[in-house]
Parts: sequence; structure tokens; C-alpha cells
Amino acid sequence: MTGPALASLLPLTVAIPLGGAVTAPLLARVSSRLPVIVSVAALAGSAVVLVLEAPQVFGGRMIAHYMGHWTPVRGQVLGIAFAADPFGLMLALAAAVIGAVLMLYTLSELGGLGPRELGGYACLFQLLIAAVIGAALTADLFNLFVWFEVAALSSYGLAGFFLERPIALEAAFKILVLTTLASFAVFIGAGLLYAETGALNFAQLHDSLTGHVTTPDAIALGLLVAGFGTKAGLVPFHGWLPDVHTAAPGPVNALFSAIMDSLGILAIARIVFQVFGVASTPALGLLMTLGLISALLGAIMALAQDDLKRLLAYDTISQVGIIVVGLAAGNLAGVAGAVYHLVNHALFKALLFLAAGAIVHRTGLTKLSDMGGLARHMPVVAGAFVLAVVSIAGVPPFNGYVSLSLIHQGLQQDHEMVPYVLTLTAQVITIAALGRAAWLAFFRRRPPDYEWREQLRPGMVTGFASLGACCVAFGVAGPLVLGRLMAPAASGLLHPARYARAVLSGSAQLPVARIPFDYVSPAELISVAASLVLAAGLAWGYLRTREPRLIRGLQAMHTGSVNDYAAYAAAGTLAAIAVLSLA
Amino acid sequence: MIVVNYLAAVALLCIGLYAVLTRRNMIKIVMGLSLMEASTYLFMISLAYRAGSTAPVLLSPPPGQSAASLVHGHVADPVLQNFCLTAVVIGVAVTAVFLSVVVRIAQHYRTLDTDKVREMRG
Repeated sequence: MTGPALASLLPLTVAIPLGGAVTAPLLARVSSRLPVIVSVAALAGSAVVLVLEAPQVFGGRMIAHYMGHWTPVRGQVLGIAFAADPFGLMLALAAAVIGAVLMLYTLSELGGLGPRELGGYACLFQLLIAAVIGAALTADLFNLFVWFEVAALSSYGLAGFFLERPIALEAAFKILVLTTLASFAVFIGAGLLYAETGALNFAQLHDSLTGHVTTPDAIALGLLVAGFGTKAGLVPFHGWLPDVHTAAPGPVNALFSAIMDSLGILAIARIVFQVFGVASTPALGLLMTLGLISALLGAIMALAQDDLKRLLAYDTISQVGIIVVGLAAGNLAGVAGAVYHLVNHALFKALLFLAAGAIVHRTGLTKLSDMGGLARHMPVVAGAFVLAVVSIAGVPPFNGYVSLSLIHQGLQQDHEMVPYVLTLTAQVITIAALGRAAWLAFFRRRPPDYEWREQLRPGMVTGFASLGACCVAFGVAGPLVLGRLMAPAASGLLHPARYARAVLSGSAQLPVARIPFDYVSPAELISVAASLVLAAGLAWGYLRTREPRLIRGLQAMHTGSVNDYAAYAAAGTLAAIAVLSLA
Repeated sequence: MIVVNYLAAVALLCIGLYAVLTRRNMIKIVMGLSLMEASTYLFMISLAYRAGSTAPVLLSPPPGQSAASLVHGHVADPVLQNFCLTAVVIGVAVTAVFLSVVVRIAQHYRTLDTDKVREMRG
């Protein structure tokens, strides 16, 4: 197909799941499972359209579509533009494909729910994925805000949807307060940028911001980073994330952690790289700081958790931190590694949360201290969990190895040794936390007096198998994936002028980026081996000692009070604004 | 510049944030968030204001002005006003979800004190 024909298909990728979301509650009147089946079809349909776009976009040719054919006049776009660059297209594709797999999984795990519940669930689920796809493709700041709000509203619904555990209500209130605060930040930030530049389109914003960033622009950038940082779960805006994940069932956790968080990171990357341009602001320093704090705090808190899902949620904060560190490295290897890790995180974190959900489904247990010896009774789940853990740990040949080595390479290239060492430290603590969880849940000896509930169903096994296969494939085919998918994505982020031209003229060619990657680099293999040994020591030591004072202090900071979490977020927002406008 | 508007917007924002950070009653937190929301609307509308301008309606211009002079900038910025309209609609939806969650919490926990509804911590 030609470029314009492909471009005119772009709105379909959002329209199909939105249509599915509208019809799902209606179809629930016919049959209780029909809404879920329709959602799988809608998300797969959206993925097919995205795949059609892929050869051209990943070949380096970005394309844009103007809603209602309001084409640009003298370099000004009045309507909303949708632009497919490799970065956005990849995240949209990941959201659609993983969403379809999660929906298939839902059909098996939650298929026994009533028609009203399944209809509403399918509706909210598709709205959230449509919002992520829309946010990934839009080239308009206010449109991005609207997608942010669509994602926020559906996440409120999903967070409070399953009331079998009443803590879901508490979690829903926390996500409501913090995300509403974040939406104010994004709203004011977008308005300030518009008032300063008279533009909402990313291309026009980029053109008027290159060279001169005024103080209101810098304040707007701070507000936008803080607002989208809340969605991504960066510390100190993270208060809602562990609670929401503790309360929700497995597929919803996987949806939030794998797909919704990437909306925040995607928006931050777009705004920092493609709107503001890398060189003009001290934003990278701010991102580096936020990323390192998130990576370390998330990993330490994960080590101390007893609730399995809460542990995985804190690990999400840590992984998001690592991704942001990669972005903040600001060079080709670092950014490509960050984008790679974003996709990898979506895969292995979805797998981990589904495994945790399957344990709840099978035994009704949520706490690690109650579990033990589950590997003998649930070999599929244990296999999936261990596969995901070794992927996160960065063991070759699994996917985490490739993305983490790229991020390390990016940090070393610019001689950022302090971030490099801190990233490795976070990595060691992460491996220890997840290794401890795997040991306690699956391999520790414990009398098998479980109260067995429901069996694993075929859809659940399909979910584990497909996500696990992706984890392996993205690792084994690392150099191929890097060259074909991740290098164009990083090139798009680091050449904002080309992206701007694509948005304003309908299409543009990206320069080809070559990222050297040595699969068997001795330094990287040694660092993986060393972190595994250190992590084993740390986990063994932690299982044997009382809580260290540092961990108790950090736990005391997470008071569970929404007022405190809002205070952390407000302070973080002010600090971000101060750093960016004074620097 | 309409300094008073900006000062009022900042004051409203601070009052709302104060309520969110210090009040334990969930209804008061929702009210604080509504105040903050109102302050963002006031801020946007004030950003849209141009000295001596009228509403962005080109039909039947006010005395002394023609449609052409309105096109050349003697109107308030309609885009920022549209921002507010969109955000008002979203805000209504969010407040509705908010209050329904608060009602469910009140039904279940028999309290609205955020300090008593914090089972998840650490």
C-alpha cells in the first residue's frame, strides 16, 4: 500500500477498540462471554492494522494523517494530526498484542463472572488500550491530554471494579486523588505551552521551542514531566501504584503494569526528546535523578514485601526507573536500550502478574509467607515465573540481557559512572527481591495442605506460553530486533526535526541508526554473573536477618495515607519545576 | 494582563491543595480537588484574555468593530476556552467516579476518615 493510504488507516487503530468498548456492554445482554470474545477480536484487529503500517514505518518512513483532512496550511496544523513514528508504533503494537493476550487470559480466569461485570470489564479494558494507542500515535499536545484522561478514567473503573477484596476501594481512592492531581499538572502545562508558543502540534511546538526555551516553557515542561511521571509511577509520584496492584486481579495488574505505565514513559519521551529537543533543557538531568531514585527505592521496597503482587508492583517502579535512566543517557545506545526495555518490561511483568494471579486463582493465597513448594503442584506457573525472573535478571539469552546491556553501554559511552554503578546496584537488589519471591513461593519446603480451588484453563496456559515465547524470542533474536525495531525507534526520538517534518508534510525519512551490539561481550557477561552472585548473597542474608533500619525507614514513609502521598507528589512537582526553570 | 485573576487562581489552587494535603475527610479531599480544578479553569480563561477584546464570535460584532478586525486578533483566544470546555466535561465525569467510590467506601468501612482506611502501607 502507498504512504497516504497507510496513513489514512491510522485512526482505525483507535477506532476499532473504541467501537469494541461501546458494543461490549450491549453484547453482554446476548451472552456473558461475547464481550470478551469481541474484545479479543477488536484488539487483534487493531494489531493487524498496526502490523500493516509496520514495514514502512520501521523502514524509516514516518507517516502522518490529519483528522478530518485538516491538512497543514503554511506550516500550521489546525486539526489533530496522528503520526506513526517507529517508537509510537511499536508501543501501540505492544499494547494491542499484549492486550489481546490478556483478554484471552481473562476469558479463562474470570469467565465465570456475570454478564454485567464482563461487559463493563471488557469496555474499560478496551478503552484503556485505545487510550494508550491514541497517546502513542497522536502528534497533538491537547489530544495527548485527552488520551491521558481516557486512560485515567478507565483505570479508576478497573482499579475499583473487583470488590471481592475491599482494599480495592481504598486503592481506587488513592489512584483517583493522585491521577487527578497529575491531570491538573498536565492541563496547566499544555495551556502554558500553548499560551507561550501559540501551538499544540508537536512539530510546531518543536520548531518554536528550538533555540529559545522561556521560563514559562520550562515550568510547563516540569508540570508535564510530573504529570506523566505519575502515570508512569516514578518516585515520588508513585503512591498509588503498589496499592492498586495489590488489590486488582492478575490480568488487570498486567494491564496496568505492562501497558498503562508505558503511556507515561511514552509521553515523557515524546515531550522531552521530540518537543523540547534534547540539548536545550536540563530535563535529562532531572530524568536521570528521578530514574535512579525510582530504580533504587522500588528495588529496596520490593525486597521487603510479603504480598507477592505488592512486591511485583514495587519492582515495576524499579524497572520504570531503569527505563527512564536509559532515556536520560540521551545517546543512541541508551535510548534504544530504554525503548527495548520498555517492551521487555511489558512482556515479563505481564507474565509475572499473570503467574501471581494464577496462584491466587488456584490457592487463594496472596502472601509469600503462606506459600511454599508450589513448583510441584503448578509447574506451568512456576516455569513462567522463573522464566520472567531470569529475563528481568538479565541472564542471556533472555530479553532483559539485551536491553540492560544496551542501557549500560549508553551510560558508559558518556562516562556516567555514578548512574552506571547505581543502576547495577538496583539490578542486584531487584534480582535478590525476585529470587527471594521465587524461592519462598515455589521451591521452599512446606506441607502441601493447600485448599485447592480452580484449575488452570487452556486460555491461561496460552497466555503464559505466548508471553514466555516472546521473552525468549526478544532475547535470542536480540541483534535482529535491535537493528530492525529499536534502532529506528531511537533514531526517531533523537532526530526530532525529522519527526516534525513528518508531522507537517505527511511523511519523512529517518536517518538509519547503527547501534553496535556485542552479544557475548565479556564485560557484560561478567557483570551479569557478578550481580547474580551478589544477589544470591543478599537474598540469603536478607532471609536470615531482621529488617535493616533503612528498609524500616522507607516502609514508614509509605504510610498508606492518601494525604501523605499527595504531599510527596506535590513536593516532587514543585521540585521538578524549580530544577527546570532555575537551571 | 489581569493580575487579579492570576492571583485569585493561585489562591484557589493553594486552598484546594491545602485541603487535599491536610483534610482527612474524603468528601473534603474531593472538594479540595474541585477547587483546584476551578482554579485551573480560571487560569486558562485568564490566559485567553486579550486587552480590549470581546468573545470569539464573529457574527454581529459589537459596536465600533467589524468582523475583519475581530479576525485580526481583537478576540479572546478561543482555543484556551475550548480547553476549559473539554476539561469541564472530563472533570464532571471524574467527580462522579470520585463520589461513587466515596459512597462505596462509606458503605463498606462506615467511615470517611482516610486515616482509618489505610490497610495497605509499607
